[in-house]
Amino acid sequence: MLKKLLKYDLKSIFKFLIIFYSLALFFGALTRIFLSIENSLMMNIIGQICSGTAISMMFSILINNLMRLWVNFKHNLYGDESYLTHTLPIEKRTIYASKIITAAITLFVSVGVIGLTLFIAYYSKENVELLKNMLLPVATAYGSTIVKLLLAFLFIVFLEFVNALQAGYTGIILGHKMNNVKTGYSVLFGFGVYIVIQMIVLLVLLIISLFNPDLMNLFITNQMVNVELLKGVIYLTTIIYVITFIIGYIVNVKLFKQGVNVD
Amino acid sequence: MELVKCTDVNKKFGKKHVLKNVNLTIPRGKIVGLLGKNGTGKSTLIKLINDMLTPTSGEILINGEHVGVESKKIISYLPERTYLDKTNTVDKVIEYFEDFYENFDSVKARKLLKDLELDTKQKLAKMSKGMQEKVQLVLAMSRKADLYILDEPLGGVDPATRDYILDTILTNFNEGASVVISTHLIADIERILDEVIFIDKGEIILQSNSDELRKKENGSIDEIFRRMFKC
Repeated sequence: MLKKLLKYDLKSIFKFLIIFYSLALFFGALTRIFLSIENSLMMNIIGQICSGTAISMMFSILINNLMRLWVNFKHNLYGDESYLTHTLPIEKRTIYASKIITAAITLFVSVGVIGLTLFIAYYSKENVELLKNMLLPVATAYGSTIVKLLLAFLFIVFLEFVNALQAGYTGIILGHKMNNVKTGYSVLFGFGVYIVIQMIVLLVLLIISLFNPDLMNLFITNQMVNVELLKGVIYLTTIIYVITFIIGYIVNVKLFKQGVNVD
Repeated sequence: MELVKCTDVNKKFGKKHVLKNVNLTIPRGKIVGLLGKNGTGKSTLIKLINDMLTPTSGEILINGEHVGVESKKIISYLPERTYLDKTNTVDKVIEYFEDFYENFDSVKARKLLKDLELDTKQKLAKMSKGMQEKVQLVLAMSRKADLYILDEPLGGVDPATRDYILDTILTNFNEGASVVISTHLIADIERILDEVIFIDKGEIILQSNSDELRKKENGSIDEIFRRMFKC
């Protein structure tokens, strides 16, 4: 049943996102075409406009991806469509799992499309060299390679997105337990949960810093901290983020299994 | 064993007590009318049976089991509102039902839709509300369910179509199954009812065999209802 649900959930999200994907790729291609025409001020101006549009489309992909996932969650589970969703012979935990997997897949694809748009619009040997020169000192300082650094960055951004997304889901579930102003409460609870997650990350770091003077310096001074410590902080926060995501997942499934109150 | 058994079911929305100690049973093989004025708790009771709401207290058993995956396999529910994704065509919706309901008969659904002259290639968004409701009725009646719950199936349709809908219900429900029809349009459906349940202000005030009730009260169900709930 999970496979079937996933099929429909993915279709529902992608049929909306495909518009933004197409626009981003289209303007990415236009950027390359117009910026490759030399000695023409007009073409250069058009190229810059296309470049700006392509960049705004890339941001739109991420924002709309997140918004669409929240809207879909609300419509499917608490709107008119919930009359179908909740009468399907499927466990509530399967319904929730499908939503989370859909989120992960669509975010992954969206990042891929953004990468492809960047490649189409800006790939050149000179730009690659420029990027390498910018990232190499950072990668070297962390004792890593540029590829690993980029992958680590993408992984952290991905974690941030799925945590924000799940905080929103928690908000919607809690908000719809109220009898009135459900959407208002959903936003309030979602925002609250997201802040709580950030506070937990900070609190854990603060507790650890009580036993680690170097880490404490990060909180009480503005001195430069050593790279090894910074790497440790990144690893630690990543682990805490993964744990909070898993806890959030379990809590949401439990809340969801308690039942829904559809208008 | 009864198909549906509600014991001391209460539902509150904040301070509002919508259902009060509801006790009722729905036997097998009957067409039951859940009758009451607007806002008396009919839809709330139906939603509780369909897992759309959770009771504040009390117990609901379907076929001896609590509401859940197993009960959803045997209940075919027609809500009072249009609930399908309107960006889909009817064909896509049929495909969806085939995917999720083992007891869905797509051949029957297509035949009924053809009888109603509904184009399966048309998007729901392009259909009128009445047409969408017909599609939903066909989908609900094309399942080989043990219990059909139809919430206001006649609400949005013209009087001429009402008879067609009632005939569709009568001729298409699974043999041995029960049908619960919630409505306030009693005159239109009373000819097909085996049993009636009267609900008022969240309380079940009467459950009876319709023929016995007509005999006892010397009138039609509609007349009895009007007498009992006179404003």
